[in-house]
Amino acid sequence: MLDVLRLSKRFPGVLAVDEVNLTLSQGEVLAVIGENGAGKSTLMKILAGVQTADSGDILIDGHSQTFESTREAMNHGIVLIHQELNLCDNLNIGQNIFLGREPKLAGIIDRREIHQRSEEYLNQVGLDVSPTTVVGTLTIGKQQMVEIAKALSVNARVLIMDEPTSSLSSNETEALFELIQQLREQGVSIIYISHRLSEVKRLANRVMVLRDGKNAGELEGDAITHDAMVRCMVGRDVSQFYSRQRHETGEVVFKAKQIRTQDWPQHELSFEIRAGEIVGLAGLVGAGRTEVLRSLFGITPLLGGKCQLDGQSIELNSPADAIQQGMCLVPEDRKQHGLITDFSIANNVGLPNLKLDQHGFGFSNFAKQRQSALKMQDLLGIKTPSIRQLVKFLSGGNQQKVVIGKWLAQQPRILLLDEPTRGIDIGAKEQIYKLMEQLAKESMAILFASSEMEEILGLADRVIVMHEGKITGELAHHQLSEQAVMQLATGNLIAVNQKTES
Amino acid sequence: MSENLTGLVKIVGITILLFVLWGFLAYQVPDNFLKPNNIENLLRRTALFGILGIGVSFVIISSGIDLSIGSLVCFTACLLALFLSVSYNPYVSTDVYEIKAQQQKLLVGTNAEFRPGQTVRYYGGRRARNAMLKVTAVTPVEYQGRPAREISVDQPLTRDDTADKANRSVGKLAAMYPISQISGNHLDLPFSGLAPRDRVWFVHPERGLKEKTVASVKPSNTSRDLSEVSFTESLDGIDTTFIAIPLARKQKMSVPAAILTVLLIALGLGMVHGLLITRLKQQPFVVTLCGLLIYRGLSRWLSNDQTLGFGNEYEGSLGLLATGRLVLWESETSSFGIPYSFFFLILLTIAAIIFLNFTIWGRYILALGRNEEAARYSGVNTGRMTILAYVLCAVLTGVGGILFALDANSIAPSSFGNFFELYAIAAAVLGGCSLRGGEGSIVGVVVGTALMQTLYNSIVLLKIPDELEYAIIGAVILVGVTSDEVIRMIANRFKRD
Repeated sequence: MLDVLRLSKRFPGVLAVDEVNLTLSQGEVLAVIGENGAGKSTLMKILAGVQTADSGDILIDGHSQTFESTREAMNHGIVLIHQELNLCDNLNIGQNIFLGREPKLAGIIDRREIHQRSEEYLNQVGLDVSPTTVVGTLTIGKQQMVEIAKALSVNARVLIMDEPTSSLSSNETEALFELIQQLREQGVSIIYISHRLSEVKRLANRVMVLRDGKNAGELEGDAITHDAMVRCMVGRDVSQFYSRQRHETGEVVFKAKQIRTQDWPQHELSFEIRAGEIVGLAGLVGAGRTEVLRSLFGITPLLGGKCQLDGQSIELNSPADAIQQGMCLVPEDRKQHGLITDFSIANNVGLPNLKLDQHGFGFSNFAKQRQSALKMQDLLGIKTPSIRQLVKFLSGGNQQKVVIGKWLAQQPRILLLDEPTRGIDIGAKEQIYKLMEQLAKESMAILFASSEMEEILGLADRVIVMHEGKITGELAHHQLSEQAVMQLATGNLIAVNQKTES
Repeated sequence: MSENLTGLVKIVGITILLFVLWGFLAYQVPDNFLKPNNIENLLRRTALFGILGIGVSFVIISSGIDLSIGSLVCFTACLLALFLSVSYNPYVSTDVYEIKAQQQKLLVGTNAEFRPGQTVRYYGGRRARNAMLKVTAVTPVEYQGRPAREISVDQPLTRDDTADKANRSVGKLAAMYPISQISGNHLDLPFSGLAPRDRVWFVHPERGLKEKTVASVKPSNTSRDLSEVSFTESLDGIDTTFIAIPLARKQKMSVPAAILTVLLIALGLGMVHGLLITRLKQQPFVVTLCGLLIYRGLSRWLSNDQTLGFGNEYEGSLGLLATGRLVLWESETSSFGIPYSFFFLILLTIAAIIFLNFTIWGRYILALGRNEEAARYSGVNTGRMTILAYVLCAVLTGVGGILFALDANSIAPSSFGNFFELYAIAAAVLGGCSLRGGEGSIVGVVVGTALMQTLYNSIVLLKIPDELEYAIIGAVILVGVTSDEVIRMIANRFKRD
């Protein structure tokens, strides 16, 4: 029912989509995978009318169509659910679902109708909240469900989901998969974009792989295996899971004693990190991992408790304080917090180091900034024609390397990373893992939060698991298993304790 | 595209626009436009407004806004005028506590000695007319428990009067001195206390009062008791029948103290803006809008809504800052010079360029303008940098206020500086500053200001009805800021076809 023929789209400096073909039949789940920058998002944006193609055809039921707006695409039944959610935080769920096409009664918005119909759609997606809830108060996972409900409300024939599970908890993910199954039986076709190959394997009838904006292969049925997909994506074999070499850890560098964060003031958290140790912070979405990292970095200062560095008490009331103490954060939201995307690589890397690198009297030392940016480009393998390139034109992986590069010049004692590989292609992921490993070897203490189990299992020497703002347990390397982590992450302490005792 | 390229394109564009406008004016109205006087004026106005533009561009780059500039210009101008206000009071004078009309007696304070036979002037009273009197007798008395003098005079006084409860005097009595010899613009006086820039009142019973300014004083050749006083103007119309009252010049504050105080007040206000915005999380628009109202109100109150000025007190000294010029070319009928204020602008421009581009604080302000959160996550003290931007803006506004005040020499507190904030913001936007923040160049702002002032100039020169002034400036700014976007859209349209 949907055919895409030789579609191309050029951006300044890059051919994002290069003569891509795609077919989709009714009730099919087509997974589109590829490294970041492979052209998946651009292709989907063209299909959904967000952008227009430079050349090529989109055929719906055999008729050629061009979409000048998302509204036109929507009228043909194509709806895109963005990776970054597109909801108005200040409106409630019902208002969001019917935004721009509110049912009216004598020219006045019919609130009751909105309420009733919204409730139906919310039921369909398994979201048990009132349609009058303000969207901004929902977790990202629930906002995602609202997005899907919104898509259902326009009778979508083709639903494009861009990384739908990246912010969902496992329960929500499970619910989403059921929903996809259900939609499919109703004859809705789904284009599913994900980096999570296990999900793809589970969901997709067919997998289309993009590489550098071109079709790089298709897999169908039993041929959809993890290895095959990865091989298509990167054009080479990579080990399925990352596994690292362990080494001895040193003295305790950082100690948190009964700290309380502003988000979960009722819980006291205590933990420590050793030199050269990689500690994983695991938990479901909303478990409070990000909040802990943000508090340690002084973004939302701690309400109570003590932090010690090398046994000395330290104050962490602002990022400047934390950086002063040698504690640096690679934040979860790269574009909002990690980088100034309109700045060049050199200026981003230089920003936290301006004070250190100055000539004196506040005069910037451009030569030194350039040198350290070049050093970071070299060290981290940032792929760019020039360090004067604006960060916004880099792929996610390269952007993340820039964020890490910002801090390495500071030679931090403790590196905090929040979802260090979110939205990054496999090749870049592996580089970042290698880098973390290398830094740990040089006796840096690393605390990282991740939603990806394989990252937690593969990287961490020790895992701290959180559940609803509490630390529910710590697992040493020999205790680590997916099972154990998930038990703690769901708040199921007893099962774990029994298991470790036995 | 590299970081600075988009900005550069904007600056080049607006510079071309400026040159086109200049070319057009030079072609259309060459006599008027190219007149040295006109060009000097253009440079002067560009300099004054450019300083405001540079100030506000720091705030705009930090993604804020400052609407209080116009009022702050007025406020600082009024403060300067008040701090530098000059008064002239007779050297020898005392308060009059009571007038006894029947007895032809005045009761006065003891801070000046009067002798029988001396001529005195009664002035400044609330209820009696000014008069020239001759002292006939002086008797020490007591007035409300304080020592006083009772002075008898030779003329009838009008109306009995007594100082009120607060002891505000009924008037003043000043000593007068006979003039012994006049030649050219100097004369001899039996009073030795005068200094240059003091003044002298010359009073005659029939011919009224004349005021002259002292140029220099030296002991007289004719008598040891006399001083030879030279005046800046000729003494035509004054002869020895006049009697002189020497007046002491009193400046409220010294020039450096006044300027420093004005700038410190501006700095303090900028800091208040910044603190309200960063600590109390108020929106810049609201904070500075309130500032706009408050400073205007304060200016009118401080000045009693009277037009303030410096008279000719600071001509040749402080006034040169705004009105002086470096003469480059001179003929018999005209001359051309670059106003000092333009050099001032160049200095400030260079300093601002260095600050914004070559210091870490400039980089911090750019960074926080682009993405405040990311700047904070990079360890930048964004609050302090925001405050710095507002402080810089306010201090530069203070500098502008001082120059505007000296330039105009007439500050009507209800209208002085009106719309200046909008001129400054418009110039910054024309010059490539984005109100979203993080974007902008100092050179662009200066060129933007020059363009705005040229526009204003062309409205005058082309004899366009000046009622249209705002409409035309508004329209041109709109065209200026939308043109690059429009050009991009048209280019895209062509590409697609």
